[in-house]
Amino acid sequence: MKMDQDEFEPLIVALCCYWCSYTGADLAGTSRIQYPPNIRIVRVQCSGMIHPSLVIEALTGGADGVLICGCHPGDCHYLDGNMRAKARAEAIDVMLQDFGIEAERFRLKWVSASEGARFAQVVSEMVEQVKKVGPSRFRVPGLMNAHFTKEVDHGGSTG
Amino acid sequence: MSRTLVIQPVTRVEGHAKVTIQLDEAGNVSDTHVNVIELRGFEKFCVGRPVEEMPRITTRICGVCPWSHHLASGKAIDAVFGVVPSPAGRKLRELCNSIAFIEEHILHFYFLAGADFLMGPDADPSVRNVIGIIGKFPEVARRVMATRQIAARMLEIIAGKSIHPEAVVPGGFSKPLLPSERDQVRTMAGECLELARFTIDFARKNVFPQYLDTVNSLGVIETGFLGTVKENGALNLYDGNLRLMSKDGSFVDFEYDRYTDFICEHIEPWSYMKFPYDRRAGHFSMDPARPNGIYRTNSLARINVCDYFETPLAQAELEDFRKLFGRPAQLTLLYHWARLIELLYNAENVFRLIDDPDITDIETRKTVVPRAARGVGCLEAPRGTLIHDYTTDAEGILTNVNLIVGTTHNNAPINMSVRQAANASIKNGKYDQGILNRVEMAIRAYDPCFSCATHAIDSGGLVRIDIYDCSGRLIDSIAN
Amino acid sequence: MAVRLAEEWLTICGGCEVTILDVGEPLLEILAKLEIVHMPVLMDHKLYGQTGEGAQMEVPLADVGIISGGIRNKEHKHLAEEMRKKSGFLIAMGSCACYGGLPALANLSTVGDLLEKVYHESVSTESDGLPHENIPELTDRVYALDEIVPVDLKLPGCPPTPEIFVEAVSALLQNRPVNLPTKSVCDECPTVREKKVVTSLRRTLEPAEFSPGAPMNSVRCLMEQGFLCLGPATKAGCGGDGRTPRCIRAYMPCRGCFGPLADGANPMVDMTGALASVGLEPGKIPDRAATLNRFAGAQGRLRPIPPKGGVPS
Repeated sequence: MKMDQDEFEPLIVALCCYWCSYTGADLAGTSRIQYPPNIRIVRVQCSGMIHPSLVIEALTGGADGVLICGCHPGDCHYLDGNMRAKARAEAIDVMLQDFGIEAERFRLKWVSASEGARFAQVVSEMVEQVKKVGPSRFRVPGLMNAHFTKEVDHGGSTG
Repeated sequence: MSRTLVIQPVTRVEGHAKVTIQLDEAGNVSDTHVNVIELRGFEKFCVGRPVEEMPRITTRICGVCPWSHHLASGKAIDAVFGVVPSPAGRKLRELCNSIAFIEEHILHFYFLAGADFLMGPDADPSVRNVIGIIGKFPEVARRVMATRQIAARMLEIIAGKSIHPEAVVPGGFSKPLLPSERDQVRTMAGECLELARFTIDFARKNVFPQYLDTVNSLGVIETGFLGTVKENGALNLYDGNLRLMSKDGSFVDFEYDRYTDFICEHIEPWSYMKFPYDRRAGHFSMDPARPNGIYRTNSLARINVCDYFETPLAQAELEDFRKLFGRPAQLTLLYHWARLIELLYNAENVFRLIDDPDITDIETRKTVVPRAARGVGCLEAPRGTLIHDYTTDAEGILTNVNLIVGTTHNNAPINMSVRQAANASIKNGKYDQGILNRVEMAIRAYDPCFSCATHAIDSGGLVRIDIYDCSGRLIDSIAN
Repeated sequence: MAVRLAEEWLTICGGCEVTILDVGEPLLEILAKLEIVHMPVLMDHKLYGQTGEGAQMEVPLADVGIISGGIRNKEHKHLAEEMRKKSGFLIAMGSCACYGGLPALANLSTVGDLLEKVYHESVSTESDGLPHENIPELTDRVYALDEIVPVDLKLPGCPPTPEIFVEAVSALLQNRPVNLPTKSVCDECPTVREKKVVTSLRRTLEPAEFSPGAPMNSVRCLMEQGFLCLGPATKAGCGGDGRTPRCIRAYMPCRGCFGPLADGANPMVDMTGALASVGLEPGKIPDRAATLNRFAGAQGRLRPIPPKGGVPS
């Protein structure tokens, strides 16, 4: 599906941990700090609970990028959940090669509860980065406008 | 009126095949093709895999003869690593080979081909099968069902798993045989030997004499033969030299890693499955009037090429057989008889191995170090001579794989036998399901394994039916 | 009243059919309750009429249909659809039908690449080689059965155990739910787990540590010994009746032949993630895709890798 690089607006799923990064994102909002509207934020209890298959499913399901945000090392509410996220992120980097997905489409970043500006910066950088690699080859037409509740049919015939 | 008949699928064989019969205006057979259907591409997707995974991958070429691939693969990787297995490792492999043969020869005779003889070639299709045999010979059926499972259980005890085994490793076998397991297996081997003896006696009394006319006429062709023999000329199914025998009984012996010096492959435009032939013959022809370079493998070939059997009961049967049919015996349906002699040999051979003190030795494998090399492993699968040829890089990762599988050698002979059987059975447009079944019997005698034969994407069997009118003009092509 | 059974086999090896025979004598009781209307390996019902003059492929009506093997060419697809039409209850038997099986390793290449090799190789022939339109068409990749038609029951395994087959058929005959194992291979494995740490992997070029004759529950978990074992990401059941998993009996690590833990799970993703969280650098897993998804390459799990920066065909 051809898309002009200029008009390409990536869809990025941001999985943010409740204790730090989701609060940081909230802060960006209440502080009226602008950041690109391309992200869809999903709140999780801890970055360490994100199973790699969620990331792979998102990326093979039509998302152009996935961003995981967690607490800085040492600050995790569950002590070492973010370290688990880091180990899994290394695994995901390797798996992306097996799926032929560009490495730029996945990032793990630390954002604390008070770092509203940082959150906005992280998102902006991610959007720029993903714009450069272009639309995902797993992209589903109309996904940008789809509501989360709408089922996306990508079984069997694509890929 | 000219027409095309498609017998699809060929039933009571392993794998997919069909027969296309071309009838001319008078209703007589003008051409036949045996088209094999299935492609998977093992030789393609095995490249890049660690070589020690091959015995675990290549078993999936065939679930009826997985042990043959498992063992040939093991021999090939031993050759790649330059290692000789320990005595226990080698003997455990040979033991499993014999048990696998027992299981498969029982399967073929009773579950696949036997109904043609035990129920009759013209019997109604609804009873011309193992269900019919169960109804007509319930006690025999019960015993056969139980004994076949016993053979499978023996393999499970020795190797952990009977279908798609995992125990062959570079340098030997992953699991030693415990004395208690050996005793268990020995008792079970007794059941197998009893059934083997019963089967050949039963067949010699109740089957072959009743069908002598059919044996003398159906699918009869003249070819050379390929099998494996030890230095002393005795049959060995696990290891030895290849012996390629000509029609007149003369033969040449060679080491199997020189197989490309003797075996060449021809390609026909109507089949992707290649046609191996004797390279020394110069060219390939399966024209029924002037065949050239054609040889067969599998049971009849093996008993023809070997000088003798090392086990007494099988040897006695071989001597009787040779008194009746000479050497080499050419009649195609004698494959069934030869198979039962082999069944007996393997049942006896299990005892030779199980009673060998080395069999319970704890040192069953040697550790190996990867290197860049090429190695060939060859042994006799129930369906014919099986060759695995691997090339690896310095890390032991496969860079090239070549496989020649038992049934492939019989590709031309199967086609020739079908042509002969169709010519003889279908005249003046008269045919019925029984007559067409006889054409299939010419295939079943070879106990083909079409899944094995179509392992590879570049030598697999694709289906194409070309329909020619009686002037030889191509009028239609059907692809599957 | 006999239950009508039809069985077909697609991209097969025959192992699932042999597994049925491995049921042994009890199979006779089961067969007595069935009427087999179509089963090419065992009986002579033909697809184009018994004298081969039929114009189209026909499978008879059946109460239960069993299909083994995945879909590799257009004829398999057609057969699967025909079986679905004619069977009241359709069973996918074996990992090939359920997940693509080992032949789905071909999904690591494009069909173009595979056929390229065919044409490239068949040069030594008198003819010009087959014209492209006469060649039976391969499908673009190997498919599992449920990617083509709806499936009522999946019996995984390469092959499944006789116990699983008996349970499925008995449940159908008795009109009750099928009771199949649901956990992972590790749950049925008696080896000893001491400490979940793996920092390096060994190939099976060397033996596992065990004492011949000692019970299995004295052997250290093969994964903890450093051998890559897919037990954690593979469905349970291969030992049959809860016995030791088959490969472990031979002191060989699991290669995942019973497929993923659940529909939609991806063993490669599960294992790589699991190993990373117990200390292994994921890059150290050799031949990842072909080892971790060896039996589950359909349903999108194995794909050709596009060249760097390019879009795949």
